[in-house]
Amino acid sequence: PAAWLGSALRHLAARLLGERVPAAGSGWRATAYLVLKLPVAVGEGYAVIIFWVFGLVNLSFPFWWLSFRNNPPGVRLRPVAVFTPFGWWGQGTYHVSALPGAFAASATGAGMLLAAPWVTRAVVAADRWLIRRLLGPGPLDRRLRDLEQTRALAVDDATARLRRLERDLHDGAQIRLATLALNLGLARKKLTAVPGTEEARELVDVAIQGARDTLAELRELARGIHPPALDNGLADALATLTAGSPVPAELTVDLPARPTPAIEAIAYFCAAELLANAIKHGGASTITIDFSERMEALALVVADDGRGGARAEPGGGLAGLMQRVAVVDGRLEIDSPPGGPTRVTVTLPLSA
Amino acid sequence: MIAEDAALFRAGLTRLLEDDGHEVCAAVGDGEALLAAVASTGPDVVIADIRMPPGYTDEGLRAALELRRARPETGVLMLSQYIETRYAASLLNGSPAGVGYLLKDRVADTDEFTDAVRRVAAGGTALDREVVGHLLTAGRRSGSLGELTPRERDVLAAMAEGRSNAGIATALVLTPGTVEKHIASIFGKLRLPASETDNRRVLAVLRYLESA
Repeated sequence: PAAWLGSALRHLAARLLGERVPAAGSGWRATAYLVLKLPVAVGEGYAVIIFWVFGLVNLSFPFWWLSFRNNPPGVRLRPVAVFTPFGWWGQGTYHVSALPGAFAASATGAGMLLAAPWVTRAVVAADRWLIRRLLGPGPLDRRLRDLEQTRALAVDDATARLRRLERDLHDGAQIRLATLALNLGLARKKLTAVPGTEEARELVDVAIQGARDTLAELRELARGIHPPALDNGLADALATLTAGSPVPAELTVDLPARPTPAIEAIAYFCAAELLANAIKHGGASTITIDFSERMEALALVVADDGRGGARAEPGGGLAGLMQRVAVVDGRLEIDSPPGGPTRVTVTLPLSA
Repeated sequence: MIAEDAALFRAGLTRLLEDDGHEVCAAVGDGEALLAAVASTGPDVVIADIRMPPGYTDEGLRAALELRRARPETGVLMLSQYIETRYAASLLNGSPAGVGYLLKDRVADTDEFTDAVRRVAAGGTALDREVVGHLLTAGRRSGSLGELTPRERDVLAAMAEGRSNAGIATALVLTPGTVEKHIASIFGKLRLPASETDNRRVLAVLRYLESA
C-alpha cells in the first residue's frame, strides 16, 4: 500500500510539476515524504493564497470600492484592511479610507500578482527537492538496479562466449579430425592395392577408429556446451533428444516469442537434464516436456508417470539446476510424491 | 559438386570422389555459391555441408531444400558434424528419393561413402546409422519391433539407411539369399506391404518406424 502511494505521488508530480522521477523507493520513504510535505504544503498554501488570491483581491479594490462604498457623503465608515504578505494575519498591512487609497491597494495587488509566479516557484522548488530525494530511487535502489543490469550482461556474455567456443570447436578441432579420418581412409584404400600391407592396413584401421571415437566424444562435449540446433529455437534443439529417448517423450512448445539466447540455453539444459533424470530414475513409461508462457515468464514442465520420490539433494543434479536457474531469478519446483507421478516446473524470465 | 567451407576437408572429398572415377564439377564454400554453381553446371548429385557461412547455422540445408524444390532430379547428400532429427525430417519431407544425410566421419570409410554417393545420385537414399538409430530406439521402446530377431533388426536398419539388397549383404557380411529371406520375414512380421523399388521400401520402413 505504501508503495502504491509512492507511485501515485510520483504520477502526480509528473503531471503537475513535470518532475519525472524513476519509479523506485520503498514505502516508508513515500510516507516520510508525506510527513515532510506537511510543512512544505503549508508554505505552498500560504504563498498561493497570499500572493495569488489576495493579489487579485487587492488589484480589484477600486471596483469593490466603487460598487460598495457609494454612500451618501457624510457617512463615515471604518477603513478597510489591505492584506499583503507583510503584516499579521487578519490585520492587514495598512488601511484604506478613501478612493485614492483603493488605487494604492490596486497597485499593491498588481505587485503581488507579478511576484506570485516567482514565489510559487520558490516554494515548489522545496517540494521538488523533497520529491526527488524521497520518492525517487535512493542509493540502495540505484545499486540494486546497477547489479541487475551488470548481472544480465554477464549472463548474456557467458552464453555468447559458449556459442563461440562451440563454433571454434566445430570449425577447428572437429573438422581437422574429420579431415584426418578422411585422409586415413584414402591411405587405407591405396594400401589395399599394394600386396603384403595387411599389418599396415590394420594399423590404419585402428587410427581411423581412434579419430572416429574422438569425434564422437567431441560431439557430446559440444552438445553440452551449446547444442547446435538451438539457433533455430527450443523445439528444434530438443527434437533430437526426445526422438532418441528410450522412453517415449512428447515435446510441446508454445511460446509466442523467443526468449533471449541465454535463457534459451538455460531452458534447454534444464529440459535435457530433467529428461535424463526421468529416464534414469523415473521408471516411467511416458514423459512430457512442455514449454509455455505464463505471466510474462517462460514455464517449463517436465512430467513423467514414474516412481516419483525425486528430491533436490545437495550436490545433486536437481540442486545444480536450482542454482543455475536462480542466477537469472528463476524458480524450480518439484512435485514428486513417492509412488509418482513426478512433475517438475521451471520458471524463467524471458530475458536475463 | 561439393559445397563445404573447410578447405582441407573439401580437398579430401574431391580427391576421394575423383579417385572413385567421378567428376567433381564444382567445389564451393557457401550456400549462395552452391545454388549458383548448380544452375551453371547441373550435377547429378550435390554433396553439401549443413553448416556454412555466413551465418553458420543451416545455410547448406536451406540451399539443399531450395534445390530439391527447383531441381528434384538432382540428388542431395548432406554432411554434418551432428545429427539433428529436425534436419533429417525436413530433408525427407515425405520422399526419401535422392536424399542423403551422413555424419562427416562416415567419409573415412571410403567404399561406403562412394556407395552412398552413387545411391543418392541414382535417386536412392543414404541415411546415417545414427538417424536410423534414433528411429529404432523409438521402435524398440514401443515394443513394435519386439518380434524381430537382432539380425532382422540389423537388416531393418540397413534398409532404413537406404541400402540395396546387395549393399546390405556387403555391409552385414551375408549372402544375398540370406538378406532376401530376412527382408521377407521382416515385412511379414511388421505387416508391411511388399515394395518393388528400394525407395518405396525405405519410405515404408521409415513411416513404420516414425509412427511407432
